[in-house]
Amino acid sequence: MDILLSGQLLIAALIIGSIYGLVALGLNLIYGTMRLLNIAYGDLVMIGGYVGYWLFTLAAISPIIAMLVAGVLTGLLGAALYFGLFRRQLSGRQSIERIEANSLLIFFGISIIIQNVTALAFSATPRTYNALDSLVQIGEISITQSRMAALLVCLGLSIFIVFFLRLSPLGLSIRALIQNRTASQIVGIDVNRVQLFAFVTGFALAGLAGALIGVTEQISPFMGFPFTIVAFVVIILGGLGNLAGGLLAGMLLGIIETYGVALTSANLRSILIYGVFILVLVLRPEGLLQKRRMT
Amino acid sequence: MMKSLMILAAAALAVAWASPSGAADVKIGYSIAKTGLFAPAAPSQINAYNLWAEQVNARGGLNIGGKEKRKIKLVQYDDQSSPGNAVRIYEKLITQDKVDLLLSPWGTPHHFAIASVVERHKFPMIGSTASSVQLRSMKPGNIWFTTAAIPDKLAAAMVGLLKNAGVKTVAILTNQLPFGQENKKFLMPALKAADIKVVVDSDYPPNIKDMTAILAKVKAARPDAILALAYPGDSILYMNKARELGLKAKFQYVMVGPAIGFWRGMFKNAASGIVTLGHWSPHGENARAQAFYAAYLEKFKEEPDYLDSVEAWVSTEILEQAVAKAGLDKDKLRKVISTSNFDTIIGRVQFDGVQNAVTPTGFLQIQDGNIHIVWPKSRATAKWQAKPGWK
Repeated sequence: MDILLSGQLLIAALIIGSIYGLVALGLNLIYGTMRLLNIAYGDLVMIGGYVGYWLFTLAAISPIIAMLVAGVLTGLLGAALYFGLFRRQLSGRQSIERIEANSLLIFFGISIIIQNVTALAFSATPRTYNALDSLVQIGEISITQSRMAALLVCLGLSIFIVFFLRLSPLGLSIRALIQNRTASQIVGIDVNRVQLFAFVTGFALAGLAGALIGVTEQISPFMGFPFTIVAFVVIILGGLGNLAGGLLAGMLLGIIETYGVALTSANLRSILIYGVFILVLVLRPEGLLQKRRMT
Repeated sequence: MMKSLMILAAAALAVAWASPSGAADVKIGYSIAKTGLFAPAAPSQINAYNLWAEQVNARGGLNIGGKEKRKIKLVQYDDQSSPGNAVRIYEKLITQDKVDLLLSPWGTPHHFAIASVVERHKFPMIGSTASSVQLRSMKPGNIWFTTAAIPDKLAAAMVGLLKNAGVKTVAILTNQLPFGQENKKFLMPALKAADIKVVVDSDYPPNIKDMTAILAKVKAARPDAILALAYPGDSILYMNKARELGLKAKFQYVMVGPAIGFWRGMFKNAASGIVTLGHWSPHGENARAQAFYAAYLEKFKEEPDYLDSVEAWVSTEILEQAVAKAGLDKDKLRKVISTSNFDTIIGRVQFDGVQNAVTPTGFLQIQDGNIHIVWPKSRATAKWQAKPGWK
């Protein structure tokens, strides 16, 4: 019982939950606005991890700065892919189902290319580095600086993005596009511009999260897939396209993972996570916070 | 006259073809996980193979039965981490590429998978990075295993080391992957027989993302020893969280991970005192071991993996010495490998059936950034020390 009430467990749940939330946020932005199923998403997290690793190893640049660089680089990759591959797909008169199916295949290919190019460039040898590793003591809780940074950045950024979407004109345009694409065009929203912004931001968030994750985990060209899976579980739990719902679902998943394991056994981790996932799909197939979509 | 000249020219050509200076390369094939789940584990083995081929070629080539020297040409394929692919590749290497010799792939499942291929073609191959008691059930004759880290022997050796360290209570944390489970299967009865109490016993999935809940239970139980039967990915989680929680157990064993160079680079002083699996260290008196360590470090600018690079290297040493005696004839090679003594970086190796019958099972400990053999005492390069804390 003491273990369940310990702040150490709570902070662990918050860290995992906020990382899941941020990782899923980018995926949700892209899916919500464009219906593109980016299954290369975890590979962008991996790129972020490598950017953090190389900047620290070669130039002793702190992961806090590296995460910005990683965000910019993956964002630029996103822009290149948007103009090179997806703008035409999205501007045609294809059905949503067709766009989803096509994007799934295209991103599958992109995922394989990113993984193997990375493996060729850096070899498959796992990389790790030792940054922000001093312990911070908060009362009885001790936590490494890197995990503290991950918590603060993920929470801060997630909250900022939610407010940005609610308060800024561009954010409101994104939400409008998520709610109803045709109506957005009718009221004069520059759909192409908003799509580009959402696409690039989604990519950038993955890179940024990757640089944070890379400080605490080993980095390898094939580390991304579990993050893709987690991100999909989170956004389906929260409601596809529902950004605040995704953040809540990320947090919920972190809590289930940490407290569920403490209450039962680590053996049951996957059963707990996917059990809740299936339960939500059965009881609320539209997701925890999803509102009825206008089509 | 013309006909005689042509015969003469053909004969000259044939002689030139067979002469040592024009001898064809010895083709040595293997498959390994360059992509997929196991790809991160394979480079330390690939490095060992490449270093060996480079060194042998620099010496003029592989000594074939004491008669000639031929340069080595490695033929490598990516098995994409799939044992099924490895089976197809080894078939191809033997039947289509017609390689002269084989090296082993990475990982126990791949060794199991290709055992039937080498047996069917009667093509001898020295295994390397595989460990399981099931290895002994393989038909001897065409496959051999260099490792001394078989789980039943590991359990017995671990109990010996724990008793030596004065451990009375342990917490066991086990990755659900087969090697972890097999080690636990033999450890539990061995601990009971030795009167060492298990105060926490927790399995966890390979994709675990946080160990706070498990390690909080361990901290509350205050065991003398923590045995983390972990793999590299989760061993990092263990270390980070154990450090955050300040786990004070004097004996902390992390099964797979600490022997890899990057791991020690990540944890530096915090890794001091961690015990891990392995029976090789460059710090003893074995000159071959020191030379291998120095050459690997120079070429790759990182330390070899004390498990995988070492097992792979030992397999090449045995192959090289066997070919020097037997040449490339498969029957002769089989006989020489089965019956000879080999001089390697882990000392003398001789096979009994499929397994290494000589090298004793051991454990390593990180002490001041170096890895020493601390068990068995007969091979120790340093004495076991209590973990000094996490600074």
